[in-house]
Amino acid sequence: MGRRVFGALALLTALSVVGAACGSSSKPGAAGTTTNTSAQAVPNGGTLVIGAEEEPDCFDWLGGCSGSSWGTWMAQIETVPYAFRDVMKDGQVVEEPGAVLTGMPTFTATPVETITYHITPAAVWSDGVPITCTDFQYTAIQQQTSKDIYDPTGYVDSDGKADLTVTCPDPKTAVVKYKAGDSFAGWHQLFASAVGILPAHLLQGKDRDKTLKDGYTWSGGPWFAKWNKGDDIVLTPNPKYWGAKPHLDKVVFKFESDTAAEFQAFKSGQVDAIYPQPQLDVVSEIKAGLTGAHSQYNAKTGTIEALWPNDQRFPFDSKAVRQAFAYAIDRAAIVQKLFGALDVTAPANSLNPYILQDYSDQNSFAGYHYDLAKVTSLMTGAGWAKGPDGIWAKNGKRAAFTIVSTSGDKRRELTEEIMQPELKAAGFDMAIKNTTADNLFGQLLPAGNYDLGLYAEGVTGLIPGLCSTFCTKSIPTKANGSTGNNTSFYSNPAADKLLIQVDNNLDDSVRRTDAKQADDILASDMAALPLDPLPDIAIWSDKVVGPIQDNPIEGMFWNIDQWGLAK
Amino acid sequence: MLKYLIRRLLASVPVLVIASLITFWLVRISVDPLAKFRRLRDSAQVIPKQRHLLGLDRPIIVQWWKWVTHFARGDMGISTRTQDPVSSMIARALWPTLQLLFWGTIFSVAVAIVLGVYSAVKQYSIGDYAFTGLSYLGIAMPDFWLGLLAIGLLVTGPKVWFHLNNPIFYSIGLHNEGVKGFNLDYIRHIVLPAFVLTASSVASWSRFERASMLEVLNSDYVRTARAKGVPRRQVIFKHALRNALIPFTTVTALDTAGLIAGVIIIEQIFSISGMGQAFLVALQTGDAQFLLAWFFFSAVAVIFVNLLADVLYVVLDPRIRFS
Amino acid sequence: MSLTEPLPRPPVANPERGALEPEARTNWQLFRRRFIRHRLALISIVILGILMIACYGATWLAPHKQNVQNLLQGDLGPSWRHPFGTDDLGRDQLSELMYAGRISLTIGLAVALLSTAVGVTIGAVAAYFGSLTDQLLSALTDLFLILPDLALLAVAVQHFGHGESPIIFVLAAISWTYLARVVRAQVLSLKEKEFVEAARASGASSRRILMQHILPNCLGPIMVNATLTVALAISAEAALSFLGLGVQPPHTSWGLMLAQAEPYINSTSKWYLVFFPGFMLLITILAVNFLGDALRDALDPQSRF
Repeated sequence: MGRRVFGALALLTALSVVGAACGSSSKPGAAGTTTNTSAQAVPNGGTLVIGAEEEPDCFDWLGGCSGSSWGTWMAQIETVPYAFRDVMKDGQVVEEPGAVLTGMPTFTATPVETITYHITPAAVWSDGVPITCTDFQYTAIQQQTSKDIYDPTGYVDSDGKADLTVTCPDPKTAVVKYKAGDSFAGWHQLFASAVGILPAHLLQGKDRDKTLKDGYTWSGGPWFAKWNKGDDIVLTPNPKYWGAKPHLDKVVFKFESDTAAEFQAFKSGQVDAIYPQPQLDVVSEIKAGLTGAHSQYNAKTGTIEALWPNDQRFPFDSKAVRQAFAYAIDRAAIVQKLFGALDVTAPANSLNPYILQDYSDQNSFAGYHYDLAKVTSLMTGAGWAKGPDGIWAKNGKRAAFTIVSTSGDKRRELTEEIMQPELKAAGFDMAIKNTTADNLFGQLLPAGNYDLGLYAEGVTGLIPGLCSTFCTKSIPTKANGSTGNNTSFYSNPAADKLLIQVDNNLDDSVRRTDAKQADDILASDMAALPLDPLPDIAIWSDKVVGPIQDNPIEGMFWNIDQWGLAK
Repeated sequence: MLKYLIRRLLASVPVLVIASLITFWLVRISVDPLAKFRRLRDSAQVIPKQRHLLGLDRPIIVQWWKWVTHFARGDMGISTRTQDPVSSMIARALWPTLQLLFWGTIFSVAVAIVLGVYSAVKQYSIGDYAFTGLSYLGIAMPDFWLGLLAIGLLVTGPKVWFHLNNPIFYSIGLHNEGVKGFNLDYIRHIVLPAFVLTASSVASWSRFERASMLEVLNSDYVRTARAKGVPRRQVIFKHALRNALIPFTTVTALDTAGLIAGVIIIEQIFSISGMGQAFLVALQTGDAQFLLAWFFFSAVAVIFVNLLADVLYVVLDPRIRFS
Repeated sequence: MSLTEPLPRPPVANPERGALEPEARTNWQLFRRRFIRHRLALISIVILGILMIACYGATWLAPHKQNVQNLLQGDLGPSWRHPFGTDDLGRDQLSELMYAGRISLTIGLAVALLSTAVGVTIGAVAAYFGSLTDQLLSALTDLFLILPDLALLAVAVQHFGHGESPIIFVLAAISWTYLARVVRAQVLSLKEKEFVEAARASGASSRRILMQHILPNCLGPIMVNATLTVALAISAEAALSFLGLGVQPPHTSWGLMLAQAEPYINSTSKWYLVFFPGFMLLITILAVNFLGDALRDALDPQSRF
């Protein structure tokens, strides 16, 4: 049912550690403030009930059973302090220091990358113990040494060894120093971005996973989160929070995984807001009619659904074939069919999602429109000829391949269904064989055991750079234990050079130019074909007031402490 | 009688063993317990370690035996999805499903018997045809259709049409947040799911009851009883009903096992976190340990219900000899 | 008719005699006469006939080919050009229903036939021969009862791919136990009757006794069960499609069409996407069951009419 699949690769889009870079893509601002798009005063009190499509597997945000977006949206950002938050300002995602810091951390690149965090003096945990540098230390050491950490990028180097140390000149100052010669350009993600800062005094010496996984009673944020397994997650205000107190008395996230039932629950008032994933039946529900509800459809998200040919396997090992393939599909029509009801009309034209527009050429793939004449000229120019069955053939081999995607995903099935006859008409024979997500991402892709994949890639933070997806060194091989993320098996030294610069270069303007150029190379090589931006869908009723706005990274509930119940 | 029961129980054991072995093998070949480790960065080192830890490098029989012996001690393993002990997950999931089955079954059996008897006695009347038609509707409508229609017409509909503050019936879970116990809130939650479960079972059961009743009503000894002047009502209740219940109990027992699919769908739609939902999630996330325990419990449930049916069968028809 | 009236007993072929009485008509004539009185059953036969011709002849009769997408013609309501409307890919729903019916009907009929054959055989043999045979076959029945049907299907689907055959085999594997138990129960109680003793005494073979004497008296529940199985199989397929374990696109079935129309169940705008597949399911199941009822009444020589 509705489930946004990021793919294991997507979450590892974070940079690997080489070279030095600095660069601040955030605008300076007072810690913890957000734009209030609603001028009216929000009343206090009341209980809000929200429908949640997925129950998290556990509350151990760092560990192997994490990676659930819903867990982060419902409970983590509400209870765990973050060094940096991704907030919405004027409709754009912007990085800002979290309420736990007094302001932007101090950054120097020489002699060694050093970041100094200044912790808010009033910041305390819910039991009254102050939030101190010790908590930063504990979190860093957990990320570096604990087994089954979900994503230790930035804390360890490419060999998995600790890459930074945290020292405490005083309790309210944390100094992070990278090893000499190493650095990490995406340092905004440290102690933020689905990790956060954990309370050392409550977890030191204990098995972190066991202690956290069933939920916890402490908080470093505006709310407490109580997890009633199978039923709901309940938020109640944390009286010891040093920032602005929430307006609501209680927020209940009720689990409801069937889309049709979820919409009925919304229409019948059993839930006041829902945040459905952009699945096919969700769009159908919206088409079926949603009177009197407020809704926000946001196509400017961090996730792109794309077609990923195996660039080293026949027939996609030929650039001409890849390009012809791109002209053989009517991407605009697919997007219109899938998301037209949500006012999403244009296909994604870059392998970088919209929120990374500053580090990409958002129109790099715009040239690939539906053009059968172009298909013919490209294929014949490369020595192909149409056989008696209307399928291209060269040296006795037909242009036949199999597309693989995650089974049970109706949107992807529909995409495949639309593509199949289109490609047939253009002379390509495509078979469909879907499988489980585990099999696809865990087995087929890393082994290169596929022809063409259909899945989404997304970013969980403002982390530019496609090197981990397209650099030659990221190709999974026996040597690196098949852990590379370039499962397209794409290799182009010119692109490599540029992508590495995006990762490493100190000069932000150089990063941006190189990123744009790299995008254009990827497009002309047709390394992969972006299809549609996966929109966010936020729906709420009249009962809910406040600056409700979708946040493609932190989710719709990023500022739920500012919401209220209409009187 | 007791000897028969014990014999049946003992006979069930080898069946359970074989079923368990087959299920174990099925789960092993279809669900990869190492799946989550393949996504980790250092999967190349972790996977052989985990394979050995989980005993996956031993032959299937050995793995199965290890699982059975642990299970007998109450250790059902750790869920690969949540890291919770499977036993506590099952305990948590069993209770809501039992409630659903309890209310659904009681209501179904009662309605089925009444409808079936009425239809048989008043064969070919308008009532018979009406009930027949409704029964077929119940069989024909898939549970999810019926469930959503019920929600639309009985939950959302009244709330919207009559501008109520709260819907009359609820469609999420078994309780509102923070509310516990058997009270009006519970009733408002359980009515619709139980009703949907009933509607699909009642159909086939009442058809069978009707057919059985007809057979018996037309039989010689009932005619003889009537000819002898036994009052009609007495004939129906004493002779006909009792003998019609014989195949009915067998059918009911079998169909209760077949209710599993219905329970899964209903729990999905009404968001009841019972065994049905748990199974779906485990299937989708490849939670092998949980699935093994789940299958075992459903097998035991089937055996139990069938034994119950056998007992009832003997009680109702003492003419059966056991060779 | 009530139980108080004395009944005129028409001359009936008495299976307990094993021979026809001189004044009686043939079995076939009696059967036909009783059957014809079931008007609903006659209508059902007609309806089923139409359905089967339409669905199995879809290749020639359907106005469009299967899975022909026309994105410009998507989301249309019923019209002259598309009597049942189109879905969001512009596929003509009437044609889709006909092709889908082929799969749904095949699944229903195949499951019923297969499970009835297996179930009756096992149940009768187990009950008649008793002792060890009974115990073994009952154990086998229990095994199939206990084996988790959904696991079977989830695995079958992964190994053999989605398709009609795994679904048919798995649904049949679940359904036969149902009938085996019922038949066993019936045969057990019939086994002790006088006419069986008589037949045995007159030297009839076990097989003859079973086929000619006992089973005909079980026809009632067998027919009811067989027709019920068709209904249950077709609707089980719908449930499986809902869970994603049934027929997969680009193939389609009534169950899958209904499952895909789930978001529109409570909406008035696209009612036709829900109504027509559901209606097909309903009339098929009704027709099959009326047929079964009529067959049971007609075949049971002891029933009144």
